[in-house]
Amino acid sequence: MQTTLDADTTPAPAHIANHPTHWRNRPFAAHFRTRDDDFDASKFGMWLFLTTEVLLFAGIFCAYAVFRMMYPEAWSNGSHHLDWRFGAGNTVVLLVSSWTAASAVRCAQLNKQKWLKINLIITLICAALFLFIKFKFEYSVKLGDGKAPGTFFSYAFAESPYEILWWSLYYMGTGLHALHVVIGGCLLGWVLYRSWKYQAYGPTEYLMVENSALYWHIVDLIWIFLFPLLYLIH
Amino acid sequence: MTNHDTTTHEEHAHGHRVVSWQTQLAVLAILLFFTFTTVLFYNAESWVENAFDIHLPWWINVIGAMSIATVKALLVCMFFMGLRYDKALNTFALLFCLFCVGLFLGITMIDLETRDRIYTWKEGEVALGGTGKGLDTPSVDARFDSSPAPTFNTAGLGIVEFRRAQGLEEAGSELAFWTDHYHHHAEHQHAADINNFFTQLGYDHHLALPDANQAVPRIGLTAGLFSAVDPTETHNTHAADDAAHQPAAEDAGH
Repeated sequence: MQTTLDADTTPAPAHIANHPTHWRNRPFAAHFRTRDDDFDASKFGMWLFLTTEVLLFAGIFCAYAVFRMMYPEAWSNGSHHLDWRFGAGNTVVLLVSSWTAASAVRCAQLNKQKWLKINLIITLICAALFLFIKFKFEYSVKLGDGKAPGTFFSYAFAESPYEILWWSLYYMGTGLHALHVVIGGCLLGWVLYRSWKYQAYGPTEYLMVENSALYWHIVDLIWIFLFPLLYLIH
Repeated sequence: MTNHDTTTHEEHAHGHRVVSWQTQLAVLAILLFFTFTTVLFYNAESWVENAFDIHLPWWINVIGAMSIATVKALLVCMFFMGLRYDKALNTFALLFCLFCVGLFLGITMIDLETRDRIYTWKEGEVALGGTGKGLDTPSVDARFDSSPAPTFNTAGLGIVEFRRAQGLEEAGSELAFWTDHYHHHAEHQHAADINNFFTQLGYDHHLALPDANQAVPRIGLTAGLFSAVDPTETHNTHAADDAAHQPAAEDAGH
C-alpha cells in the first residue's frame, strides 16, 4: 500500500537526508503551536500580498477602461495592431506553466522528488518561452515600427493622436506583467535549486513551493484578463 | 502525521488536500478549451463584420471576451490556487479585494459618465432661490415651471466666483470686503485673498502654524481670535503688534 510519505521509492542519500535543509529535518517557526498553524498563517500572508498585486493591476485595468471610453477609436486602432496569435500562444504557454506549477505542489505533497523537479523545469521553460515570444515577436517588432510609449512614439501611420496612450498602456500593462513573470521565475528557480540540492520540499514542508506557485498563478490570472483586453476587444 | 493510509483521490499531505492529477489535467483541458473558444469568438465576430459589412454593437465583443476570461479566472482560483479545498479566509481575502476593485472601477466610471452634467450647473445662469430641480430630475413643484424664478446671467463665472464679485461690489472696496470677512473668520488667510489683506489687517499674528521644525498643538479656540484688532489701523504698528502678541500665541501653544 502506497502511503503519503514513501511515495518516492528511492530514498535520499545520507548526506542529503541528514542535511538540516532536507524537508524531514526542517522545524516550523517556534511561535506557532503546530506546523499547520505556521503553514496556514504564511499562506494567508501570501494571499494578502496577492490581493495587493490584484489592486496594482486594477490601476492599469481602470486606466484602460477610462481611456477606452474617452478615445474608443484609438483603442480600436491600437488593438488591431496586435496579433491575436502571439497573445493566444502566450496564453497557452502560461496555462500549461500554471498546470505544471500546480503539479509541482502536488508532487511536493506526495514526496515525488523527481517529478517535482521536472514540473518546475517545465514551468521555467514556459516562463522563458513567454518572455521570448513577448520580446522577440512583439516588443522588438513594434518598437522597430516606432510604436513606442510616450515621447518615444514615432509611428508615422497612427490614425488617432491618442494612439500614444494606447501604446503607453500596452507597454505599462504587459511590461509590469513581464516583470512579474521574471520575479515568479526567480522564485520557482529558487525552489528548484533548493529541491535539487537538498530535497528541501516534501509532505510536511512545501510552503515555499505552494506560495511560489500561488504567485505564478496570479501572474497567469492577470494575463487571462490582459489577453482579451489588449488583443481581442476592439 | 495524519492520514498515512489513504490511497484514494482524496490523498492528504500533512492534513492538506492533495488534488488528484486527473482533476488538474481536466482543469487544464477546460482552460485551453476556453482559450480556443474566446479566440474563435473573436475571429467569428471579425468574419461576420467583414463578410456582411455590418458593425456589431461593442458590448457583444466585450461581454463575450470578459465573461470567458472570468470563467477561466474562476477555474484557476478554485483548482490551481486551491481555494476550493482551502480555508475560507483566503477566499474571503480575495473576494474583499475584488469588491474593492469593483468600487474602484465603478466609482471611476460613474465619475467619467456624469462629469459633463455638472458643467452646466456650475456656470452660466444662476436662479434666485434655485430652480427647484436636480441635475437631471423634473422640478419638485409645478410652480417652478409655471413661474420660474428670476435668473442672473453670470457671464460664464462659476456661482462661487460670481457671488464673490457681487460681494466685492456690495462692500464697495476690497478692504471693506476682507475686513468684514476676517472679522468673522480670522483663523487663516482666505484662498481668494490674493492681495493678502489677512496680513495687512493684522490678523496673521494669530497664526502659529506647525512646520517641519516646530509642532504647534492647536487645542480649543484659535489664540487671539477674540482679541481686539482695529482693522483701520495701518501697517506701521504692525511690527509692534506682532511682538506684543507673540507671548500670547506661545501660551496658547502649551
